[in-house]
Amino acid sequence: MDMKVAKKKLGLKEKYRLMTRDLGWEPSYRTKDEVFPYVKYEGIKVHDWDKWEDPFRLTMDAYWKYQAEKERKFYAIIDAHAQNNGHLNITDGRYLSALKVFLQAISPGEYAAHKGFSRVGREFPGVGTQVACQMQAIDEIRHAQTQIHALSNYNKYYNGFHAFADARDRMWYNTVARSFFDDAMSAGPFEFMIAIGFSFEYVLTNLLFVPFMSGAAYNGDMATVTFGFSAQSDEARHMTLGLECIKFMLEQDPDNLPIVQGWLDKWFWRGFRVLGLVSTMMDYMLPKRVMSWREAWEIYGVENGGALFKDLARYGIRPPKGWDDAEKSIDHMSHQFMLGLYQWSFGTSLHSWIPSDEDMDWLSAKYPTTFDKYYRPRWDHIRKLAAEGKQFKNFGLAKLCQTCQLPVVFTEPDDPTMSCHRETSYKGEKYHFCSDGCQHVFENEPEKYVQAWLPMPALFREFEGDVGAWMDWVSLRDGQDNGDYVGSIDQRNFEQWRGLATSNT
Amino acid sequence: MSYELTIEPLGQTIPIEEGQTILDAALRAGVYLPHACCHGLCATCKVQVVDGEVDHGEASSFALMDFERDEQKTLACCATAQGDIVIEAEIEEDPDAENLPVRDFAGTVSRIETLTPTIKGIWIKLDDAEGMRFQAGQYINLELPDGIGTRAFSVASAPSESGEIELNIRIVPGGQGTRYVHETMRVGERTKISGPYGRFFVKKSADVPVIFMAGGSGLSSPRSMILDLLAEGFERPITLVYGQRTREELYYHDEFLALAERHKNFRYVPALSHEPEGSDWQGFRGFVHDAAKNHFDNDFRAHKAYLCGPPLMIEACIGTLMRGRLFERDIYTEKFISAADAQQVRSPLFKAI
Repeated sequence: MDMKVAKKKLGLKEKYRLMTRDLGWEPSYRTKDEVFPYVKYEGIKVHDWDKWEDPFRLTMDAYWKYQAEKERKFYAIIDAHAQNNGHLNITDGRYLSALKVFLQAISPGEYAAHKGFSRVGREFPGVGTQVACQMQAIDEIRHAQTQIHALSNYNKYYNGFHAFADARDRMWYNTVARSFFDDAMSAGPFEFMIAIGFSFEYVLTNLLFVPFMSGAAYNGDMATVTFGFSAQSDEARHMTLGLECIKFMLEQDPDNLPIVQGWLDKWFWRGFRVLGLVSTMMDYMLPKRVMSWREAWEIYGVENGGALFKDLARYGIRPPKGWDDAEKSIDHMSHQFMLGLYQWSFGTSLHSWIPSDEDMDWLSAKYPTTFDKYYRPRWDHIRKLAAEGKQFKNFGLAKLCQTCQLPVVFTEPDDPTMSCHRETSYKGEKYHFCSDGCQHVFENEPEKYVQAWLPMPALFREFEGDVGAWMDWVSLRDGQDNGDYVGSIDQRNFEQWRGLATSNT
Repeated sequence: MSYELTIEPLGQTIPIEEGQTILDAALRAGVYLPHACCHGLCATCKVQVVDGEVDHGEASSFALMDFERDEQKTLACCATAQGDIVIEAEIEEDPDAENLPVRDFAGTVSRIETLTPTIKGIWIKLDDAEGMRFQAGQYINLELPDGIGTRAFSVASAPSESGEIELNIRIVPGGQGTRYVHETMRVGERTKISGPYGRFFVKKSADVPVIFMAGGSGLSSPRSMILDLLAEGFERPITLVYGQRTREELYYHDEFLALAERHKNFRYVPALSHEPEGSDWQGFRGFVHDAAKNHFDNDFRAHKAYLCGPPLMIEACIGTLMRGRLFERDIYTEKFISAADAQQVRSPLFKAI
């Protein structure tokens, strides 16, 4: 019988294997341990590197082709944004503060992630892992660049954008994000993957990027929306790398489980603290709001995070230790941190403001059990002072948490009227913390965190408490970049230019 | 209006409705395609259109580039078919899949037996002398009269008995189809089936010891698979861990005891979860996953496991296997991804289990 037999096609997986795995080689004149000196000291046991799956079967030449087209599209939109005065299409000048938070705290994190992935790509022995880390390293530097380029357009017109790198390294609220990345980059390769590849890219990324990008879309900022889309098209690959890494560790050896669990506990809490900035941005800085921080937490934290930890339970992983404390703080953190930003607004490279009646009604609708009870009275008091010409300022310097570097402004998990403060002694020195979570992180690795550079002590150590000298050092221009939005140069310019663009007077 | 969607490299053809996305059609047919955001942004579900026309829908221009559109790529989560289409997806090729074509068969109900108070055995003799070729573990759609429609059932008999198909059907309270089978169906009745369907079959090419974990009415596929393996002389150890609530629900118990007598590589581990205390049951008391953990001393390495049964049992068994060091690549479940499952919030940690 004459049957036509279709020739079997080479599967995509097989094609990819032929084009990548063969790139690896066995070292001959040095041992593997010498070539990859950092891969064992964290205690992670690996028996078979070939079990590391790389489900994104992307080769380098295809990678360049994709990224080149993304860049072309991105810059076309950025150019149009610049030529058409896109900065006047945003809903209100207050929105600029959200962008300043992003540029100062988050974009440099992309650059840090680039450095980190370059390093671990070198330190991991597996070929699949090396290729995936290399691509992610290039992605991250591209993200940093596109974000800086997109926001540089705002720098032509508004204050607070000009020295984002100094602000990131030295400004008290930004060192929260800096210390998160520094902590990850100074960890071993596997811990870096859990910190950035898994906790940050998977568990926390939606809570971080969705609010900013949807916030941009809601507030008419097409430049930011575009870099968001451009970055999100890389995210699937990044998340997969993080997920594959955690599965790989858990499947390679049962001894890896307690190590991985410890890292999850640590990096969930570290990441959650970085989200303190994001919660405030969502609830207070968007003139047109997308959803409340509480609502975002319900979707991306409780629902998606819950599904993840349910699946991880199959390996014997339990939800991170700080999960319950996190849940208890959701209805408080954005208010507490905005009050912090406002009272120290003389020392911020962005503007804050007293929420309007309409803002406060929205907040009380979104936080029915907490806002009217604990936070509205404080804002009312601050507003009364402002009406009398006395802006509420706190010229005392905030005590910072030794681990997360946030000012100790949060309350006890079970008592929102009691300030939460923890301390521990190590080698005769006293260290302060904002929470049990941060204290635990310190106590697990005290030698690491005693070295932390904290911005408030630095003000005394380096400048003997001279705030003016400190402002020069962090590139903060007093009266331009800082203070209340109401009466600021940003407010005056935005309203004047927008008036010129939308009317004939 | 419905079209045909062929998914390479599986070679499987499934129906796709006008306006239905490729991803939705595939998931409903039990074919897993990689996906994540489900609204055209992340590009996880990118596939190659080999033949036919698609509408790209809401795919983001950053997730599906212009040059990719020119190369006939599309995002399965957004794309809809404009006619019959063929796609190539990132699916592992399966050396054990025979990709047998689905056909319609007419037949006669030849035998009905009460296996337990809630399960009936139904035998259907097919008119076609050659019978239906299928892989042990696959299922058929049984056409039921009176406007009830079709219902899917796993084949409980071995592929060698291709002329007479055995189905074991548990009565589902309130279920129209199973009530018909239990109360109205008679020997001699004419009926129609279509099949074989599904991608649940033994990975014989791996050539490692196999574990079957079955509970409730999930015994059909494992039974067919075990009969098939033993008949063709499979030499690796085969273990069936089989659970029911009580002894009277433990159908085919004697058959498995006899098989274990005859084949030294077949081990049979029955478990009863709700057997009255003080009965003469000498076997394991408890759930399937605990019986397996006990039998294998919590070490399942270097096996392949096949799981059939109610969702809670499957979940418990997966957890037990993983804590006993057997992972996703070696665990197979007979699971139909319903529309509800496809919409359920799940993490992307696991793909097939």
